[in-house]
Amino acid sequence: MSEKKKYVRPSGLKGLWHGFKETIYGMSAHDMSRAALRTRASMEHLFILITMGDLLGIPILPPYYSLRLLPHVVPQIATWKRRMLREKDVSDAMF
Amino acid sequence: MNTLWIVVIATVVIYLAYNFYARRIDRDIIKADAKRATPAKMYMDGVDFMPTSKNVLYGYHFKSIAAAGPIVGPITAANLWGWFPCLLWLVIGVSFIGWVSDYSAIMVSVRNDGNSLSAISHKLIAPRTRTILFIFIFFYLMLLAGAFVGILAAILSARPDVPFGIIMLALMGLLAGQMMYRWKMNLILVTVIVVAVTLGAMALGPWGQTKNEKGAVVPGPVAAAVVSLNASIDNLNAKRPILSLEDPTYADPRIPLPGADGKRPTTPAYDSATKQIRTLPNYLLWMVFLFAFSYCGANMPIWRFAQPVNYIGFWVMLITIVLSAIGALVAPLTGVTDAAGKAIGAFALTAVKDLGFAAPAKPFTAWQPLWPMLFVTIACGAISGWHALVGSVGTARQLEYETDGLPVGGGSMFGEYTLALLSLVAVSIAGVGGGGGRFAAGVGKLIYAGTFKGIPEVFGTALGFGAFVVIVLTVTQLVFRVMRVTLTEWAGEAIPLVRNMHVSSIISMVLTLALVLTGTWVYLWQMFGASNQLMAALSLLVVTVWLKSEKRNPSYALYPMLFMYVTTLFATAVTARNLYVTIASNPAMSGLPVAGAWAMIVLAVLLIIAALFIGWDGLKAYQKYSATPAAPKPAITTA
Repeated sequence: MSEKKKYVRPSGLKGLWHGFKETIYGMSAHDMSRAALRTRASMEHLFILITMGDLLGIPILPPYYSLRLLPHVVPQIATWKRRMLREKDVSDAMF
Repeated sequence: MNTLWIVVIATVVIYLAYNFYARRIDRDIIKADAKRATPAKMYMDGVDFMPTSKNVLYGYHFKSIAAAGPIVGPITAANLWGWFPCLLWLVIGVSFIGWVSDYSAIMVSVRNDGNSLSAISHKLIAPRTRTILFIFIFFYLMLLAGAFVGILAAILSARPDVPFGIIMLALMGLLAGQMMYRWKMNLILVTVIVVAVTLGAMALGPWGQTKNEKGAVVPGPVAAAVVSLNASIDNLNAKRPILSLEDPTYADPRIPLPGADGKRPTTPAYDSATKQIRTLPNYLLWMVFLFAFSYCGANMPIWRFAQPVNYIGFWVMLITIVLSAIGALVAPLTGVTDAAGKAIGAFALTAVKDLGFAAPAKPFTAWQPLWPMLFVTIACGAISGWHALVGSVGTARQLEYETDGLPVGGGSMFGEYTLALLSLVAVSIAGVGGGGGRFAAGVGKLIYAGTFKGIPEVFGTALGFGAFVVIVLTVTQLVFRVMRVTLTEWAGEAIPLVRNMHVSSIISMVLTLALVLTGTWVYLWQMFGASNQLMAALSLLVVTVWLKSEKRNPSYALYPMLFMYVTTLFATAVTARNLYVTIASNPAMSGLPVAGAWAMIVLAVLLIIAALFIGWDGLKAYQKYSATPAAPKPAITTA
């Protein structure tokens, strides 16, 4: 496999234009993309909870099916665990 | 004074404060280190914790903090004390307090695993601090919603050329959500369509208006339809007011300015003989419209309404700001004049009005001393507690490098200060009109100058009104959304019914309605400002205690915190006094206004008690960390 190319920020006028575009994106659409990601993540986490509930002591699906699905869910497990176990308060729900 | 000087002052202040003060604190006190792993990297989950470019994050943080506050505050304060004290407070506030609050809240959260300020206060100060903070936030949001709904309903009721644009904004918001998320249309195409239609609708409001032989404005066809609607609603109650109240500060947008003879004219909404503001049924109609709009924003899926409306609002605001900023820059250089032949770049508003320190001579009169009231009337633009909340939860978790904290947090605050200055410029060059009207008139002049006479003043003013209403309204709908969530979290355990989003939304709106109907607008705004600034003081308290726990010099946060804490406590007490003297104990007042004044006085007392509790806990925590040395922590670095 070829080594992943490191992202290099453009400089000079190109860099200024790039920065301007990023700032406008941040002002106009970043919160929309975050909300979309959040919706997707909550769906995914619900799916993992249903399929891998055993991991938290909630046996919703028979372990046979959980094991069949496990390889597909593995990449999400670390994120899922982190989000499930993180302490949250009202301000987390606010923004 | 002219607008060019304001541009020069803004540039110099930002340059000096950022380079010679903020950077020194970042380097010597916080010791931001680009090699230290941020929570965005350590706990990356692709959703909340996600390393983001500092440019994107700057835009995100600026958009989150710069809403209606930096516009409404300077408008109200310039009206009360003149433009010069406002300018001074904005300059000093942002340089020594504002950026400190935004930047430090972000950095404290970054150094505490991306935890929110309330969670950090729970850990560093006392468990009850978090509970008090939540209660505080709910009342803060209620006051904010009340102040915004009050000013918007007054504008929509008094200006028949404005509502059509706002109704179209709601429709375009629904359409934009459908086009973007259901029909998967190109974002640029969607943007062009919905923004163009919204701006067109705003321009249609004043379209066709003329003046009669007496100089009075005769509305065009669209505005005439709104006038007719208002009249038919008022006829339901035989044009009698539903309730009347007096605003001794004359800051309510419904009170007309004095005419050439120095007397205020009688209008349908104001009786100059009795000085009573008449709350007519059409005012209620527009308030119901605002609640319906906010209800959709608070309860519909966020992609369906709230987000697209905010998106359109952003472009309307950006276009208005850019054109006005160009106008502020070029007006004095080109010497362009308005329809009355006056130079647009020159300030028409008095530099310093009565500073208000002397006790009022007449009975039942409000007391508005410059200190502490200016410092709560202008919150955003100088310093705001809201920023610390947003920064600690939203921004800190996306910071890619610690060294991005200053350009993002501090930089955004300086950006908001520029917006507040622009608002101050707009009201100062207009000279006439009240509240939002003065801002819109100023924006109209600036856009006329900024487009080199391309957009006539009347349409520029319509855009100014539209932008003002849009920015306040987009915030209001989100405030109700946040209020609903806060109420559910706060009381959901004890009262299961509150967990229903419709119930919690309706409770939030009924409480807000009661505040608006019973309170005098300026007190509502100042109470909101006081609670906002108190929250800023509390966030600075958390920063101070954290700095002490880390054995760093806390002076740069400690002194601003003390100033804001004392100032806002006094401001809350003065507002409570004004409410008591001018309304609650005034024999000319009765019914709803008196009940509302008492409710606000109780709220003020509660806020003071809550702040005293947090202050006491903070003092004890500060003393505790002063006495015990912090255990050294190994720095975690990225590979």
